[in-house]
Amino acid sequence: MSRFTVDRDGETYVRPIEGLELTRRQAALGLVGLVLLLAVPDITRVTPLSFSIIHQGILFGLAAVGLNLLLRHTELVSFGHAAFFGAGAYGAAVLAHHYAVSSGLVLLVGGVLVATVVALVVGYLVAGYLDIYFALLTLAFNQVLFAFVLQSRYFNFNDGLAVRPEGTRPLLLGLELSPGAYSVILYYVTVAFLLVMLFAMWKIVNSPFGRALDAIGQDRTRARFIGIPVERYVWIAFTISGLYGGVAGGLFALLQLHVRPEPVLFVFVSGEILFMAILGGVGTLVGPVVGGVVLIYLLRLARFYVEYYHALTGIVLLVVVFLLPKGVLGSLPEIGDGLARRRREPGLLREDAGSVAESIRDGAGRAVSTVRIVVFGVK
Amino acid sequence: MTGGSSPDGLNRRDALRVFGGSALALALAGCAELLGGDDDVGDAEEGDVPDEPIEAGLQTFREGAPAVLGVQAEYGAETAVGRINDNGGVAGREIELDVVEEGDEHLENYQQFVDEGKDVTFGPISSGGHEAMVPEIDDRGVINVATDGTVTTLYEEDFPDTTYSFRFQNHDVMEALAAAVEAVEILGADEIDTYAGINPNYAFGQDEMEIFSLGIQQLADAEEVYSGFPDLGADDMSTHVTNVNSEEPDVVFTSCWGGDATLLLQQAQASDMLENTELVVGPVLYGSANDYEEGDLEGPIHGGSRNFYWDQPATDQWTPAADLFDEVREEYDVIPTAHFMSGYGAVTAWATAADKAVRILGRWPEQDELAAMLEEHGFFTPAGYHTMATDHQGYSNAHFGELAWSDELDAAVLEDVNVYAPEEVSPPPGTTSRDWIEGW
Repeated sequence: MSRFTVDRDGETYVRPIEGLELTRRQAALGLVGLVLLLAVPDITRVTPLSFSIIHQGILFGLAAVGLNLLLRHTELVSFGHAAFFGAGAYGAAVLAHHYAVSSGLVLLVGGVLVATVVALVVGYLVAGYLDIYFALLTLAFNQVLFAFVLQSRYFNFNDGLAVRPEGTRPLLLGLELSPGAYSVILYYVTVAFLLVMLFAMWKIVNSPFGRALDAIGQDRTRARFIGIPVERYVWIAFTISGLYGGVAGGLFALLQLHVRPEPVLFVFVSGEILFMAILGGVGTLVGPVVGGVVLIYLLRLARFYVEYYHALTGIVLLVVVFLLPKGVLGSLPEIGDGLARRRREPGLLREDAGSVAESIRDGAGRAVSTVRIVVFGVK
Repeated sequence: MTGGSSPDGLNRRDALRVFGGSALALALAGCAELLGGDDDVGDAEEGDVPDEPIEAGLQTFREGAPAVLGVQAEYGAETAVGRINDNGGVAGREIELDVVEEGDEHLENYQQFVDEGKDVTFGPISSGGHEAMVPEIDDRGVINVATDGTVTTLYEEDFPDTTYSFRFQNHDVMEALAAAVEAVEILGADEIDTYAGINPNYAFGQDEMEIFSLGIQQLADAEEVYSGFPDLGADDMSTHVTNVNSEEPDVVFTSCWGGDATLLLQQAQASDMLENTELVVGPVLYGSANDYEEGDLEGPIHGGSRNFYWDQPATDQWTPAADLFDEVREEYDVIPTAHFMSGYGAVTAWATAADKAVRILGRWPEQDELAAMLEEHGFFTPAGYHTMATDHQGYSNAHFGELAWSDELDAAVLEDVNVYAPEEVSPPPGTTSRDWIEGW
């Protein structure tokens, strides 16, 4: 046994760090994912895939990882997380545009600070609310921020602000880079932030604080009875969640080099971030990042291949909700097991076909009944 | 090049000389018949020119309220591409045009076009999107000719040194100042003491109102009594109409467009706003020509039509516009507006410059050579003569006239159209619009 493996119940687990134990399959998948992540610039160079879109997808996915802290553990649905993504992006843009700050790191830190302050304020005001009230309040704050920016000359209305201090790109690692080098270096900065923040999130959710959030999500009254300061913990979780959005937004500003209200602050963007978490798998740590890449790719590029690209996005959502309720990443183990069983027992495929045919038959029967009732009445 | 005669008896060589030396320029000016059906494109086909078609991309609004403008731009670009391909292409290369919805993804659309290997891109409509694109265009080095995105400061102040980014349509200062000059022409400077504005609440509306205010204050020493900014796509403007009614200004300026323009005029009619003001001027009111009903246009309403009005010069004097009008009505069942010309002219600017470059170089030009060729490039469209200046801004005549209803067309028309030359409504090179107006 090496210090990176552990045997339990006759199964060997990989233990890259203390407290994190992965099956061999999970470890292999994780390694493949990491290699793919690091190889994105090269992969996109030799394939038609878009480097910029994948980078954007990872950033929105990072915001979705933050949102997932609320969604998965406190079971609170926020419809306003674009507020923090947008605050991070605008924080960086304001420093670059109005104060000519040229350091990319300073711009990012500025954006994160702005987003965190906004999250602190909004979190304090919404922490005591539940369910639809919480969702609508977050949405309302998001819209207030959007409207404020949209109507403000300081933020240049809907034309937005360039993130180009003195007309040039921000410095990365103190270097003034060519466009190509800038995009690659920024990508690896994003990857570094992503890995660190995924690890930090894993530590948070597996800490006593994370367990307390689970308790709050399951039953607030019981959580309060066992001494958990519910509102304060929700407030802290909300702020952490907003900080993730701020980092993502700040990096997004450095990537796009221009920030406008609609792409980063409009309430639909909040819906998209929520959708990313669901699409990738709410019950997973990395799922929202996968969801981010998949959804951003659909939203940005489907229009180049499909006329009714909005419908395509809707169909993907329907497929995920009905067929993959645990999301793309969350459903991988079940899909893998199912495929293995069908390889062993091909007869199951016939059963699958029968089940699908039966579902279609039942659906068609219900549709006919409904039409008959609509046309001829109940009798 | 042959020197045959057209059916009209015009010498082919003379015709080509007049219209820029190429059959393509002639076709895009709407004068292809002068060639007498001869498809020979002359020297442009000679030299080292690739065989494959030109890959072009256009991003424009195809859905939602902005589609009133965007779809017209698409029709215009398609019409220009059709005429180019029907006349043998650019130096023998046909154009394949891909069109995508611009949405809020202007940068991504441009990047994707470039990644797909597009030779040229066109669009967008949005001024904010255009502003975000310009540095990226210079980074990627593939020419973009914007159809609209007409914010005044873009090339004057924000990006005075751009290399690959161009804009065909007149910028905001030209139409907002044309509105101010039109108001003075109609009412007289001494009769304008007060003015009000109802403009869409985003950068374009703010930009237009600011320039109109500067202009009308300089021309008539008028005082602003009300300025309202309804949201883009608002479903009610009655508050603003009521405020105008209570102030009774001499002139009301509005840069509302698309469905907003229609709604404003409907609510203005319902509240008798036209009886409480001497004149309404709107630089983009004619952009909604296909949406108005007869009752919307009663009263002193003067609309702008940017760099193209289909009946100016009068179609009986200027057949290219008449032919274009008939072609568009037949093909798309709409009246071509200035936004149609945005698409048509953007394609024409690039295609005629590329055609000229091939004739000069004897080969297909590199992007930087073509960008240099586009600077100070002049060309005809059915709207007349246009120039793409050193500042990368297109300059054309600006049109303004009284909105009226045509029973014959069953659509809105402009009457008593005034045409303003670029030098009347835009600053000389090297001067910003604001400095120029304030120095009057």
